[in-house]
Amino acid sequence: MQLKINGKDLASGVFLVAVAVVGLYLNQDHSLGSARRMGPGYMPMMVFWLQVGLGALVIFFSLLSGPDPLEKWTGMDVGTLVGGLVAGYIAWRVSPSLWGFFGQTYNAVGFGLMVGFFVMAISAGWKLLAIICASICLFGLVLEQGGFFAALTGLIVVSCWAEHTHTKKGVLGCLVFLLIMCWWVFIYELDIRVNLWPQSY
Amino acid sequence: MELLLSNLAHGFGVALSIQNLLFALLGALIGTAIGVLPGIGPVATISLLLPITFGLPATTAIIMLAGIFYGAQYGGSTTAILLNLPGEVSSVVTTLEGYKMARNGRAGAALATAALGSFFAGTVATVLVAASGPMLTQVALSFGPADYFSLMLLGLIIACVLAQGSIVKAIGMVVFGVALGLVGTDVQTGQQRFTFGIPELSDGIGFVPIAMGMFGIAEIVLNLERPESRSVMSTKVGQLWLTKEEFRRATPAVLRGTIVGSFLGILPGGGASLAAFGSYMMERKMSKGRHLFGTGAIEGVAGPEAANNAAAQTSFIPLLTLGIPSNAVMALMVGALIIQGIQPGPRMVEAQPDLFWGLIASMWIGNVMLLVINLPMIGMWVKLLQVPYRFLYPSILVFCCIGVYSLNNNVFDVYMTVAFTVFGYMCNKLKLEPAPLLIGFVLGPMMEEHLRRAMLLSRGDWMVFLQRPISATMLGIGVVALVLMALPNIRAGKEKAMAE
Repeated sequence: MQLKINGKDLASGVFLVAVAVVGLYLNQDHSLGSARRMGPGYMPMMVFWLQVGLGALVIFFSLLSGPDPLEKWTGMDVGTLVGGLVAGYIAWRVSPSLWGFFGQTYNAVGFGLMVGFFVMAISAGWKLLAIICASICLFGLVLEQGGFFAALTGLIVVSCWAEHTHTKKGVLGCLVFLLIMCWWVFIYELDIRVNLWPQSY
Repeated sequence: MELLLSNLAHGFGVALSIQNLLFALLGALIGTAIGVLPGIGPVATISLLLPITFGLPATTAIIMLAGIFYGAQYGGSTTAILLNLPGEVSSVVTTLEGYKMARNGRAGAALATAALGSFFAGTVATVLVAASGPMLTQVALSFGPADYFSLMLLGLIIACVLAQGSIVKAIGMVVFGVALGLVGTDVQTGQQRFTFGIPELSDGIGFVPIAMGMFGIAEIVLNLERPESRSVMSTKVGQLWLTKEEFRRATPAVLRGTIVGSFLGILPGGGASLAAFGSYMMERKMSKGRHLFGTGAIEGVAGPEAANNAAAQTSFIPLLTLGIPSNAVMALMVGALIIQGIQPGPRMVEAQPDLFWGLIASMWIGNVMLLVINLPMIGMWVKLLQVPYRFLYPSILVFCCIGVYSLNNNVFDVYMTVAFTVFGYMCNKLKLEPAPLLIGFVLGPMMEEHLRRAMLLSRGDWMVFLQRPISATMLGIGVVALVLMALPNIRAGKEKAMAE
């Protein structure tokens, strides 16, 4: 007889337990105190132990309540995920030494994320998620130095790539309309503090 | 009574200022628009607009956000009736009878019933909020830290019990939400917890990146994955008025729906979709037209539509009197209040009378506006339904990104949003519910504070939670709710009910 494993629940339970174990490990730095005078570590300790217990329960029930398997990952999905992680990590670590821009604030992190997502976008399974996320990272990278309009243009053009029914004309119309609307709402009406045009340095 | 009237008069004075009226209208319009559009809900919209409300006075901000929430209840029914697609989760049951009515050529009547029923229910529920608010506040003022802790625990338990799918997973998500809420500086000792030395995390993980990532952007990705299932509008709206017969049948259904909805809205974890569903079940069993269900019974539109709007209004009661959010939208309201520097809780009625009474008055004004927005202007919303999703999602994305950035003028929040987008996407694939996480995240820090205070007062004695009558009652209800849900036949009943 085959066990009726609920793959989604099993993965959920493993996730909950794993996060809680990491949390308990990090919580060793915080003093617990006593029940009367709780230290900074007391509440996290209780919360994470509870989470370990619940995660274990989820795992237990998952062995009986299936079958509800996870969506199949293709070899491409696995490959691009690993490739994305590796490429992203390298980009994050190496980029600051290539160009001073990446050394500032969180630019290296954003660049690493973006590279990783673009690698993941090669596989059909990740394409939509990866492109949307990459477009947001591009926005974050460009915004402060490149200015409001450049960042929005990047965001819109890249994110439109996620939907295959888009035409060139449609994207262009969408871009112009959104640029004008965002300028009106955020700059003219709400007056948020952000550079509009690229900064020279 | 006189005090209530004078308070309400004060509220109307606040709500009728030009600025507040304009923002109530804006909220109602945005709410209707996102209600009409399938695939974007009030949670995503409110989290998207949170950063923008930063620059507004607190009362105005809350009035607008509230307008979005109940506006969505009105708008959702339009799509449900005309296209057989729920514009909102709470209008799922409206599709059952509403679309059939539209097929029978009574689309106009169904829309009118939905709008009038919602308006009636909204009015009753607003009065209920006004009357019960100050009373409950008095009760809440006698709460000690132990009582608060137990009450929040109860709220979390009920939010899980009523969530869809596995309860254990929902509780797991709540606990994980509480854990996320722990990140940042410990209030009492100043020690940094789980911040990994990142200065941006010392104030805790931002509320907006979590809400926007999990409810806004992850939702876009999921919508893009499902190819557009939008059917073409073939039905005509037709006459907007009800026949005498229809009116006679709809009235008792609206009354029943209002009662069911008002009650279910107050419950923590309840809210609009549960209310609509409860009312539908009730109508199918009790109404005179029950043999007509499945062929376009007007009761099946009138009851649930009244119920979801009533619940949308009364779900403000726990927030305004106790400071406890009963659903994800209310959790966002807590976020909005905290951004404004207001601690939600029983002292709000006295400390912020403008906000409390102004909000209540604006709820009623908003309902009047929505009646006008939805009935005579229905044609405009039908046009909005014809905008393809490929043009909508870049707009949502753009607003999310600028909104997140402008909250702190820091790109760190943008990258946090990306992280929570991936997490939200993963949760959807694993059938983990994001709403309990958000409620846990909001309540977590408050619970820790009350727990520490309660234990300090009791000198480290855990029995304090059972010795105080209020606290013991709350815990008792929580245990009963958990045990009931663990019983197999009730569980099966709930699953069957949710599947329908």
